[in-house]
Amino acid sequence: MLAMNKIKVLGTTAFVIAASIIITSCKDKRSTGWEYAPNMYEHTAYEYDQPNNNFKDGKTAQVPPAGTIPVGFKRFDYPNTKDGYELAGTEVKNPLAATQGNLEDGKKLFTTFCSPCHGINGQGDGLVVQHGYPPPPSYSKGQSSRGGAMKDLTDGKIYHTITYGVNAMGSYASQVAPEERWKIVMYVHHLQTL
Amino acid sequence: MRNISLILKQFSRSVLLVAGLAVCGFSAHAQADAAKGEALFKAKCTACHKIDVRMTGPALGPQLTQETDDAYLTKWIQNNQALIAAKNPKALKIYNEFNQAGMTVFSELSDADVGNIITYVRTEWKKMQDEKAKAPAGGSATTEDQGPSSVIIWGLLGVIVIAFIVILVLNKVIATLERLLLNKGGVALIEESEDDEAAKAKANRAEVFKKLIKNKKLVFFVVLCGTIALGSWQWVTMWNTNVHQGYQPVQPIKYSHELHAGAMKIECQYCHVAAFKGKNASIPSLNICMNCHKSVKTESPEIHKIYDALGYDPNTAKYDSTKAKPIQWVRIHNLPDLAYFNHSQHVKVGGIKCQTCHGQVQEMKEVYQYSPLTMKWCIQCHRRTEVNGKGNAYYDSILAAHDKIKKGEKVTAAVLGGIECAKCHY
Repeated sequence: MLAMNKIKVLGTTAFVIAASIIITSCKDKRSTGWEYAPNMYEHTAYEYDQPNNNFKDGKTAQVPPAGTIPVGFKRFDYPNTKDGYELAGTEVKNPLAATQGNLEDGKKLFTTFCSPCHGINGQGDGLVVQHGYPPPPSYSKGQSSRGGAMKDLTDGKIYHTITYGVNAMGSYASQVAPEERWKIVMYVHHLQTL
Repeated sequence: MRNISLILKQFSRSVLLVAGLAVCGFSAHAQADAAKGEALFKAKCTACHKIDVRMTGPALGPQLTQETDDAYLTKWIQNNQALIAAKNPKALKIYNEFNQAGMTVFSELSDADVGNIITYVRTEWKKMQDEKAKAPAGGSATTEDQGPSSVIIWGLLGVIVIAFIVILVLNKVIATLERLLLNKGGVALIEESEDDEAAKAKANRAEVFKKLIKNKKLVFFVVLCGTIALGSWQWVTMWNTNVHQGYQPVQPIKYSHELHAGAMKIECQYCHVAAFKGKNASIPSLNICMNCHKSVKTESPEIHKIYDALGYDPNTAKYDSTKAKPIQWVRIHNLPDLAYFNHSQHVKVGGIKCQTCHGQVQEMKEVYQYSPLTMKWCIQCHRRTEVNGKGNAYYDSILAAHDKIKKGEKVTAAVLGGIECAKCHY
């Protein structure tokens, strides 16, 4: 009787060891692993990028009602056309003071958002261009596709281009806030002199 | 007669020679043109044009091959604005087709330069089409380098199992056949004795096993080992329950951080714009992809997933928002609702690098969760990290308040920001 028990005990131990080795050896990176009471991990509050059945289009991130603007938002009433571009070029001036701090912020922002294509010195030789992206014209030596030399671009023209994009360049309005755009404009003026 | 044929032969030879030389010379001339044109094309045109597909401007290969009026083309390339101002119907048509986006004026290009560029584009386009015609129709046989799918793995396992069974059955059959043969030959006696020996060995083994079981020390040792193994496994498993470290789900698009953030050194913030501004680092919206992929890698099936999601047609460069549908990325880093985490607080104020928590993302082809994101992990870092309060008005005011306490001055709620509007009206 005792011997029988021992056989059972031995058998289960061997089985458990084998099972533990098997279970721990194959961790599946495609799964989140074992979870206990995962309720808190499934958010009850909606995040902006999650689907949401409470809205008609099924998105949590809703577009603000048409015709509204955020408090303190400065409008830029120049359409994305050649005329709008020319008009902005003559009418719009940089509202920020040309301080060292603003210029430094502009440099940082330029490095993050513009230098992949335009290059650190604005010569149109960024790393993405070196990987085969069509090169943009140099700020100091190039010609603008909308007429004139790149080095003569005014505040309003540069701001218009950042806001709407031109040719292969897309609009950066979603990535760079208006104030940040003006800081970048400031730094681009510096690069035009290089 | 003979003379005439000789003369004819010589004549034909010289004609052939001259013709050959002429052809050679002509092609050499054309090549020189094309080479010059290529350099010019790469310097002046590639910012907006490709030969085979539409970019900012039209695909130049078909465009310049269809349009045979070189004089008009030269005028257009040298100064398209003048042609448009003069209301040239051809010029106006293409100007309006491309949303009145004017082309750069290239007044510095001479007629010969423009001719070279046109020759280069036409020969290159012809080459491309010849290659296309040569290429076999089975172009769709481009194999995607996917890992073996689970179907294949299970299929292989099934085949192995079946093969094993077949082998067993065959062995049995062979054994019976052999026995039959032996029986007929009268050698059955030897086999019997073999059977006997086998039975004895079996009995022996069983006895040894029984002896081992009766050895209490051994049994204790085995049980102890088992308990330790089981216990440690349980310990590790329980600690790792709800910890998603190493989680690497399959994403809908094979986006490589190694290429974008590693090789091209695009900063994290370029795409994850909100990391410096808000709670969430934000999954990039597709317009950020399109900043580049409107123009590059337009042929890749992975990029076409972006086009499909946007309802974008690369041939007309137009968006159809009715066909748009969001791409459902799989979330990797997920804090439970009980914990509040703010990216801008850590990255902007704390000045912590993205890699501190997310690992060397610029080396990851596929992103996985690098940190455990457990409370222990958070607290460890909060215990060790020194706060850099320089140039931060919040810390300045706190330090000022502490100075007041040290000096024995009265510290009111107002000093600690107690009369700020949002303390009550939020």
